[in-house]
Amino acid sequence: MSNPADFKILIVDDFSTMRRIVRGLLKESGYVNADEAEDGVVALNMLKNNKFDFVVSDINMPNMNGFELLKAIKADDTLKHIPVLMVTAEARKEDIVLAAQTGAAGYIVKPFTKATLEEKVQKILQKMAAAA
Amino acid sequence: MQTINLPDNMTMPAASPEIFQQLGTLTRQLHDTLNMLGVLPNLQQTVDNLPDARSRLNYIATKTADAAEKVLNLVDTAKADQEHIAQETRKLAKLITADPVKAVASGAVFNFVQDVETTTRRVDGHLTDIMMAQDFHDLTGQVVAKVVNLANDLEAQLVKLLVQAAPPEQAHKVEAALTHSHDAAPIEPKLDGPVVNATGRTDVVANQSEVDDLLASLGF
Repeated sequence: MSNPADFKILIVDDFSTMRRIVRGLLKESGYVNADEAEDGVVALNMLKNNKFDFVVSDINMPNMNGFELLKAIKADDTLKHIPVLMVTAEARKEDIVLAAQTGAAGYIVKPFTKATLEEKVQKILQKMAAAA
Repeated sequence: MQTINLPDNMTMPAASPEIFQQLGTLTRQLHDTLNMLGVLPNLQQTVDNLPDARSRLNYIATKTADAAEKVLNLVDTAKADQEHIAQETRKLAKLITADPVKAVASGAVFNFVQDVETTTRRVDGHLTDIMMAQDFHDLTGQVVAKVVNLANDLEAQLVKLLVQAAPPEQAHKVEAALTHSHDAAPIEPKLDGPVVNATGRTDVVANQSEVDDLLASLGF
């Protein structure tokens, strides 16, 4: 897949404002095929019932937070291949290390720029393409 | 110390050493009683968190003010760009009305098209920046949740104190109020949320490049 429109992305964040911002930025970069979930529980259900190529997830969320979602994805044989980019306000080094060790494909701290999001998404998708 | 203003016809009686002694004893008794009841340590802990709440509220004020100013500046710039397009459109309309062939041959039409393309791209950039500026909602929302949590703690501690101090016939009413207030789902963020003041902290990153450096140092 080289066309950004071919990738289906799931954006997970409890704040609808942030979901719209991330979705808007991805759309500007050509990633027009995106869905949204407001927490980890909803996201996991959507991932199990639909095909997604990529997840952009917040960490601090009710019901199931981003770490729990990441662990659940990596523990599921049918989902563990999906890269998860964490986009979060959590800036503690131990959280960043934990995310990487749990299998996050990238980590962005809020507030972030459009260029940062584009760069991280590109990098992850390039890795995906190389691994395929 | 606060000054007590008495009416003109009253004077402050000279406090006798016995009164001070009694006040001191009462204060000590109250302190010991509260400690025995376990109220004071919890209340103290909650009060200790108030400076943190103050810095969080400052963070919210700064974030919202910055976002509002940024958006207003971007709107000013975008409106100027829009006005420029409107002016150029009126000029071109006059040229075409006067002499359509000359308007095209002179390059005025082509220049206008290029100008519109450049300006609309710039306006699109301003709109993206306005969208990005709304991230304050997420960041301040998480901080507000922390402050609300602290206010809930403080309220619970004060009500507990009230229950202990109230006459027995009134205490059950206060306890009912306490139970009621705990029925409302508390907002309990489990994680730290945005860093409101990174000064002097070594356990957090200050920006994205520090995240990237940390991950690179770990081989990710």
